[in-house]
Amino acid sequence: MAAAAALSGCISLPQTEALSGHAPPGLPPRVELEKVPFFEQSDFMCGPASLAMVLNAAGRPASVESLEPQVYLPGRRGSLQAEMLGATRRAGLVAYTLEPKMEALMRELAAGRPAIVLLNLSFRLAPIWHYAVVIGYDTEGEKFIVRSGRKPRDEWSYPFLEYLWKDSGYWAMLALPPGVLPATAREAEFAAAVAALEQAGGKREARESYRALLERWPDSLVGLFGLGNTEYAAGNLAAAEDAFGRATRAHPDAAPAFNNLAQVLFERGRLADAETAARRAVELGGPTRGEASKTLEAILARKAPH
Amino acid sequence: MRSSFVRLLCRMLVVCMVALPFQANAGLIGTDQVVTAEQALAARGMVSSVVSRADVASQLQSLGLSPETAKDRVAALSDAEVTKLAGQIQNLPAGADGGAILVLILIGVLIWYLVRK
Repeated sequence: MAAAAALSGCISLPQTEALSGHAPPGLPPRVELEKVPFFEQSDFMCGPASLAMVLNAAGRPASVESLEPQVYLPGRRGSLQAEMLGATRRAGLVAYTLEPKMEALMRELAAGRPAIVLLNLSFRLAPIWHYAVVIGYDTEGEKFIVRSGRKPRDEWSYPFLEYLWKDSGYWAMLALPPGVLPATAREAEFAAAVAALEQAGGKREARESYRALLERWPDSLVGLFGLGNTEYAAGNLAAAEDAFGRATRAHPDAAPAFNNLAQVLFERGRLADAETAARRAVELGGPTRGEASKTLEAILARKAPH
Repeated sequence: MRSSFVRLLCRMLVVCMVALPFQANAGLIGTDQVVTAEQALAARGMVSSVVSRADVASQLQSLGLSPETAKDRVAALSDAEVTKLAGQIQNLPAGADGGAILVLILIGVLIWYLVRK
């Protein structure tokens, strides 16, 4: 009994405590995403195996073999979190890091999305890191259903999962198809996740997700700005102008939005409007002042001969 | 049998007392997640992260990737991720082993013991 008291003193499992006997409201009592395919891992390959499961579940064919060269790092005998996110983007999906909560896992599962979790299978001082895929939960049995390592299906109690999961800061990620919002979407985090997909080259996919973001948060600066940039990249100048215009109206202090609006107006031959926007961008200054000055110069140079 | 079980438990207790006092607050979201949005904007403003990308790519090469593969992999990362990786690749978690069955069983016993107490 003394040992138990000491143990509970040094291990605290706050999320398990909060959820025990108190299922989060608005959730079905039990979810299991049986259709998520299982990929067995060979030695050290839980990164590629876990990724293959969620990518296939999101409609992107992938295998352990195809993903190994994208995430496995021989010198570390494992896969880094950042590269799990990066490989998801290379598949044209939004890599979204979840709020560090069991409840967030449950809400995403209820919306049909499996999550990859990073676990420490050992103790904090000598960690053994491992990725697994959570495919279901049961609020009555108080357990999660996972695909992990060589096991296609395993049931883990709340405290068991929380104990393994907490050392990673409760890290969990989703692979989302373009245009899909997570059930637990947070504006800034989702916007950053979409911007990262755009930056990694998935401009068309990112455009769809920016639209979804803006349906929920119409004034999102990153959303409007990203939509403008991806429309521009697709050659849709009118749509880009519209997005940057909305950005400048919703965020009258956002110098980059004025600069990009000016550039688009310039390319559409509307030199007077372009000049006004560019002057505003220069006035606002900030870290993008240099670009704004160049944009203004280009506009004035075009106007000069007339 | 019983006393050996208790001895095992005591050993684990010691390990966990040493290992666990510094755990993070569960509810806190990392600051980097909050600032990423701003960084994405800055990146579009051509504030270049070329230097840290090159740095991360060369570290990846030293850990066994070809230059080409390292370059492709770095290109899939956000600026915030590159910043975090730079100089830290040896220390950040690298998920790998699903075969740590023994440790898992020990943890299972520990949790089971705690829950039924």
